[in-house]
Amino acid sequence: MAETPQERRRRTIDEDWAATIVGLALLVLVLTGVIPVGLVP
Amino acid sequence: MSAEARSENAIIRDPAARPSLAWAIGGVLVVLTLAAATRYLEQAVPEITEGGPLAELGAAVEYPIYAIVLGLIGNAILTAAGVRDRLAGGFRTEFFIKTGLVLLGASINLSVIATAAGPAILQAIVLISLVFLFTWWLGGRLGLDDKLRALLSSAVSICGVSAAIAAAGAVQAKREQLAYSASLVIAFALPSIFLLPWLAGVFGLSPEVAGAWIGGNIDTTAAVTAAGAIVGEEALQIASIVKVTQNALMGVVAVALTAYFAFKIERRPDAPRPSPGDLWRRFPKFVLGFIAASVIATWYLGLVSKAEGKAVIGVANDLRVWFLILAFVSIGLEFRVSSLKEAGWRPVGVFGAATVVNLVVALGLAALLFSGFTA
Repeated sequence: MAETPQERRRRTIDEDWAATIVGLALLVLVLTGVIPVGLVP
Repeated sequence: MSAEARSENAIIRDPAARPSLAWAIGGVLVVLTLAAATRYLEQAVPEITEGGPLAELGAAVEYPIYAIVLGLIGNAILTAAGVRDRLAGGFRTEFFIKTGLVLLGASINLSVIATAAGPAILQAIVLISLVFLFTWWLGGRLGLDDKLRALLSSAVSICGVSAAIAAAGAVQAKREQLAYSASLVIAFALPSIFLLPWLAGVFGLSPEVAGAWIGGNIDTTAAVTAAGAIVGEEALQIASIVKVTQNALMGVVAVALTAYFAFKIERRPDAPRPSPGDLWRRFPKFVLGFIAASVIATWYLGLVSKAEGKAVIGVANDLRVWFLILAFVSIGLEFRVSSLKEAGWRPVGVFGAATVVNLVVALGLAALLFSGFTA
């Protein structure tokens, strides 16, 4: 169950890139109007 | 053995009970449900309490409070039902908050900082350096863990929770240390929303100096906005510029901390000198996303009308708030009392003392740099 330091480091790095990609993708969707003003509650 | 440890052992012994993808999805659904409830409360409570005796409190309690409290309630219920540890795969605190921070970059206009905020940059650099080093020193005197020192120093000197997250990524801090630092930031920010505008009135500060003081001192961006708005529109503008400048310096501090921990703190005498590659591996990559979002949003705002740009960036800000709510709900769901007991009173003492130093130094700098400044 317990992850090794290498596994934890890899997971953290993966989360960094995942967050970067998801965050920038959402920003692009907002700027291009795919997510329009008023859609996000 | 505690009930928590027993349930974890039970999971290890019984392979069928190991957290699966279905349980992780269940965990995400729990987080989303509590986040929706948070968003509802955040918007409904100020309307419900408006005009009543609790109006000021209702307007001042912000989403991190609702999110953490609802997360803690969910934590208690799921723990009692014996399913929390299985659902924990869906409580992705770090992913949620890092995505929120990438989106925060979209609300930071690089050109505004570069052209209009000379004094703000000077104030931010001097203030961050002094308060960071004081907190680091005091934390060392009181024997705090180096990673917790780094988190508390970043949180109190830069921008609260988000700085603590960036620092946590840079020094690879424990999740409990991050939850603890975030709780301290929120506990100290809430009273300052009322205290600083009141003190600004008592000291007779001009709106510009009051704004610079608020922006330089209060840790969370949301609380800065609330306090600035209480003083007035001019104060709010200056407070926002000062705060945004501090936020922008977060990336610089993250890089410096990464380097310091790699080269000094965690380097064993027999270990080889860390290479630039090691530094890159430890660098919190989402900071690049944060900077990229800021560049993209700055470029976009140059292409469209002011009103359109404001509305569209507002959508990105709403998404950012959603991700931060998801993160705070997850912090509440993951919280363990044992981590607070372990940390003891010393981090609270360090944070409190650092806040007082921050208050005094920020006031001096604001008076020096912003008296005679016109917004």
